[in-house]
Amino acid sequence: MNTRLLKKYFLTFILGIICIQIQAASKSVPTGIIENKSCIECHEKNNPQLIKDWETSIHASTQPVTNCIACHGKRHQEAASHARRDSICIDCHGGKKAPVVHSYTSSKHGIIMQLEKNSYDWQQPLSMANYRSPGCNYCHLHGADHNVNSMTRKSLMDENTTDEIEIKIRSVCQDCHAPRYITRLLANNENMLEIARKKVREGAKLVDQAASKFDEAELKSAREILKSMQHHLRNVYLGAGHQSPDYQWWHGQPALDGDLLRIKGLISELHRKKNRLTH
Amino acid sequence: MKSKQVKYIWIPIIISMLLIPVGFYYVDWNKSGDGAGLYSRDWLPDAIFAYWNPDDFYQSVKSVVGVFDGQACIDCHQGVTPGIVKDWQASRHSKADEKVYCNACHGSNHEVLHLPTPEVCAECHSVQHAQFEDEKRYGFPSHALAMERALDAKHFVDKPKAEVTACLQCHSVATKCDSCHTRHKFSAAEARRPEACITCHSGPPHPDDETYFNSAHGQLYLKEGENWDWTKPLKKGNYPAPTCAYCHMDEGKHQVADKSIWKFGLKQINPLSSGNEIKRTKWIKLCSDCHDADWSAQQLRTMDMERKKTWNKLYQAESILKDLRASDSLYPSADQRPAYPGDTENSLFKRERISFFEGQASAFYNVSPIERDYFEMWYFENLGAYKGAAHGDISFVNKWHKAMDISLEKIKHNAETLRTLGKVETDKTTTKNIWLKGEYTDFNREQN
Repeated sequence: MNTRLLKKYFLTFILGIICIQIQAASKSVPTGIIENKSCIECHEKNNPQLIKDWETSIHASTQPVTNCIACHGKRHQEAASHARRDSICIDCHGGKKAPVVHSYTSSKHGIIMQLEKNSYDWQQPLSMANYRSPGCNYCHLHGADHNVNSMTRKSLMDENTTDEIEIKIRSVCQDCHAPRYITRLLANNENMLEIARKKVREGAKLVDQAASKFDEAELKSAREILKSMQHHLRNVYLGAGHQSPDYQWWHGQPALDGDLLRIKGLISELHRKKNRLTH
Repeated sequence: MKSKQVKYIWIPIIISMLLIPVGFYYVDWNKSGDGAGLYSRDWLPDAIFAYWNPDDFYQSVKSVVGVFDGQACIDCHQGVTPGIVKDWQASRHSKADEKVYCNACHGSNHEVLHLPTPEVCAECHSVQHAQFEDEKRYGFPSHALAMERALDAKHFVDKPKAEVTACLQCHSVATKCDSCHTRHKFSAAEARRPEACITCHSGPPHPDDETYFNSAHGQLYLKEGENWDWTKPLKKGNYPAPTCAYCHMDEGKHQVADKSIWKFGLKQINPLSSGNEIKRTKWIKLCSDCHDADWSAQQLRTMDMERKKTWNKLYQAESILKDLRASDSLYPSADQRPAYPGDTENSLFKRERISFFEGQASAFYNVSPIERDYFEMWYFENLGAYKGAAHGDISFVNKWHKAMDISLEKIKHNAETLRTLGKVETDKTTTKNIWLKGEYTDFNREQN
């Protein structure tokens, strides 16, 4: 064994002892049922960053608020391991069939999770590839960062992802994947999403142009299709983010192709009917 | 006179003798571009393709220099990418008497590392690889031919490459073994579970996941599967209910095409051909692991009936569309649609592609709405019914047959509208702008 490794082990050992001492000195962990208020009070003193991160997250502004006990339950015991499981997220995020959930559960990450979750040690922190495949929280609360939406964008029609988001995503993927693979995958995802946006913009422009020639009532179906384009655009986004080929493709790009050609069909039919009347 | 005629025979013979090597040369030349497959000269790969089709596109990173042994790989990657090291440590590769280290599959020189292709795995797993290769003689659909199928598809060649990455993700089942045995654990037990298949075998054209899980077989699996011993081989008596692999890869054979009678439901087949009779016998033998042979044969006949009923509906729609084409009523017609640079055949003979044999698989974009309706009827509704029938989910069969009936009515109705409008003169510039221009349409023409 080389000396560097020995040093590393020794340091870890000393650090471990210090941690145990600190824990013993600090107040004991509460038992029994706890109120959300007391979670905040205590953790604001012990790890203020955690509370701050949660306060910046979308969870703090949902109605009702997605507070500590919403995910961690009402008991301190097993509170962390309880909240790490996917089922906690899925219940609120639309259930198993919701695209945001299904795009993940049908991805390879989600499949491995489904097959191996009972053999995972859920006491382990959400970092250092402590889990063979990432669950919702391994990525979105990586390293216990409670700002759950720090790696998601605010609007799908936004041009590109920010550097901040990219750094955040990289820090998670690199636990298992090679840096060049991550770079290429992110670039590919970005381009894929932009292509989907091009389809949406092409459709929207056609409807806008038609609005000067036809009544709103005549354009009703085309406007409905524009709405479904937003839904299919989101599928491409979810498919790319969660690495589900099915959402990138069948629920995404060809679905958008269908929307676009149907908008074109509806508008050209309006033109042709108008011409038929005038001639 | 007679000798003169004999002399002339040499002309076509010489021409064809010249044309045959020219033909081979032309195909070869086509394959020599920067892309891959038959149309490789017409497109450039996206950088991510390296990871889905390593044989054609992967090149090692040059940033790390040196030749390393297995333990050195582990020592370094424990810090760089701990996940893959932990995975390998949990694998049989790390537990064998003679450990199979990273360099056994990736090579030792870090500047020329490779991603393992099936051929690399075959160095040890030769039996499985030979079975996998054997699929090719059964033609499409198959795992072993999947990449070829994707790369040679017209729409794959036509579309911007970042758009079609998802195609390669699933079709890489031909070019990497980790589609089913995920890296770096490469577990046989994992691949035996039905979930291992559903990342690709799901969604509108192949709802294998839903139909299987809805079936009596799948329901039993969902209820008890967690407790079954998945280390056991896929043989009679080892599992209380069949899974995807139990039937399609019986006895662990890495061959999914040798019992494929209805060919994914994509085209009509003759269910009683001698080849299909052999396949039928194989199915009956397999079902007989649990069921009565006569009962099994009856199930297969029911399947034939379902297919016949479906094709009757599809052909009705197809003939409506072909009639519209014959009377120039399809709108826009083929020559009013964007021309794609790669598609020489289409630029020479402009024609709406109706039916499987005319290349309908690519007719889901830049076509008229009525053609898209038929595409969806054929590719989503027909295949939904097919998968329901094949996997024993009668609710799915009914649901999609009903959907096909509705589609057929819709197609009939819309055909009427098209016929009425057929003779209407249109303002050419407006139409041109709608179908031939647009942000995505332009981008598609420039980027493929």
